[in-house]
Amino acid sequence: MAVKIEARGLYKVYPRDKGEAVPALAGLDLQVYENEFLAIVGPSGCGKSTLLYLMAGFLDATAGELLLDGRPIRGPQRDCGIVFQHFALFPWKTVKGNILYGLEERKVPRAERERLARHYIAQMKLTGFENSYPHQLSGGMKQRVAIARTLALDPAVLLMDEPFGALDAQTRRLMQEELLALWERKKKTVVFVTHDVREAVYLADRVAVMTARPGRIKAIVDTRLSAAARRHELLESEELVAKANAVWALVREEVEKSAALGE
Amino acid sequence: MRRLWRGLSPAATVYGLLLAWEGVCRAGLVTPFLLPAPSAIAWRLGQQLLAGDLAWHLALSLYRTLVSFALALLIAVPLGLAMGRVRGVRWFCEPLLAVGFPAPKIVFVQVFMLWFGLHELPKIAMATLEGIFPILSATYLGALGVDRSLLWSARNLGTGEVRLLWKVVLPAALPQVLNGAQIALPICFIVVFVTEMLLGGGGLGDAMMLAQRFADSRGVFAGIVTVSLLGYGTMRVVAWTRRLLLHWHVETQVRQL
Repeated sequence: MAVKIEARGLYKVYPRDKGEAVPALAGLDLQVYENEFLAIVGPSGCGKSTLLYLMAGFLDATAGELLLDGRPIRGPQRDCGIVFQHFALFPWKTVKGNILYGLEERKVPRAERERLARHYIAQMKLTGFENSYPHQLSGGMKQRVAIARTLALDPAVLLMDEPFGALDAQTRRLMQEELLALWERKKKTVVFVTHDVREAVYLADRVAVMTARPGRIKAIVDTRLSAAARRHELLESEELVAKANAVWALVREEVEKSAALGE
Repeated sequence: MRRLWRGLSPAATVYGLLLAWEGVCRAGLVTPFLLPAPSAIAWRLGQQLLAGDLAWHLALSLYRTLVSFALALLIAVPLGLAMGRVRGVRWFCEPLLAVGFPAPKIVFVQVFMLWFGLHELPKIAMATLEGIFPILSATYLGALGVDRSLLWSARNLGTGEVRLLWKVVLPAALPQVLNGAQIALPICFIVVFVTEMLLGGGGLGDAMMLAQRFADSRGVFAGIVTVSLLGYGTMRVVAWTRRLLLHWHVETQVRQL
């Protein structure tokens, strides 16, 4: 399998005005394969979001290499779309305006813009809400808009920072199913940060477990579920429970270490 | 009954005050020179309206206020956005803002008279200078507080660093920018009025000074009433503009409930 994103000896240190600098990542190595669904789990503050922001080009690494298609990542690029936990929609733009934003900024021709916006509004079940403003929508709807806005630019890589963390349990479950269906239809490389082990195992081909701060990859667990276990009508399958327990055992050790650090 | 009271209450305060005032004057408790009756002031206002000089002074003051307000916006909004986002600009401007905001800039009026003469320029420059600070301070804090993920989203969707300022930072900070503008407008108004009183050259402030020199207290009070009405009117226009610009904001929805 081709490597899409590669991190080699990645360091990220946050400088502070006073006192010691905070190390977030310390020599992290990771390979993300093309068109795989990789989840990253780990205790709070382990640097998993930092890793995602480095991949998105929002932050610069302190040391080490981070490559996309073999080229170093310098600044945000079209190939990597991102979805945030708190949606980050433009509150002054309507649903349609939000989805059109990236297409306008990327200078997509007008007719094509309109076509794409219509397509993703229909696909993300937003029909009828085109002219609503974000504050008029539920959390689940907002995240659908954010996903549509990102997908409209058709990035090869989809970076997701706890995208369902702010949703209620039922909405979250439906959104997980929809994301999987979407990914199965149109393969993309997905890097999905979450602290929910069950969610990670349910969605991902592989789950990368991070250590307590400063973050490294502790282990990578193959979690590809059988088709039966991924059948959407099942709430939990034995296979999923077994794999989730295996991952949780790894995460638990790090959470305890993290707690011992007083965090 | 309660509904009637609620409908009346904001205006009732003003009407009640006017009635009491008229009563005190009619009863001869004060001399018309110290406190002319509201009816006498209204009569004078009517005369001035008919003569056309009220409209002229009003237009002059309004023109000076709006020009200086617009200039203050044009200077303070881009500068405030840049202060919020560009470290060098922040480093340079923050001390100026900290010293300049609380200082009573009206003390420059004599200096401005020396530099700019007696006509439009010193008045407009003075009011612009006073208007800049509240807008600058509010815009700066607004720009500083824009959610990081909003900026990152825009960067991710293809917006460059400079374009970001007006595509994302300005609309995201707009509620605060408008807060600053709502404070700056009456300040511009007050400063125009004061400089007219000090420097002359027409306008409501000058007209009132003139009325005072001729011991025309009706004229003075007519000026006070005009200025109050004008101030109230402009604030209503600003509030209406705010609702129009922030139609997407939760704040607007809440107020409509």
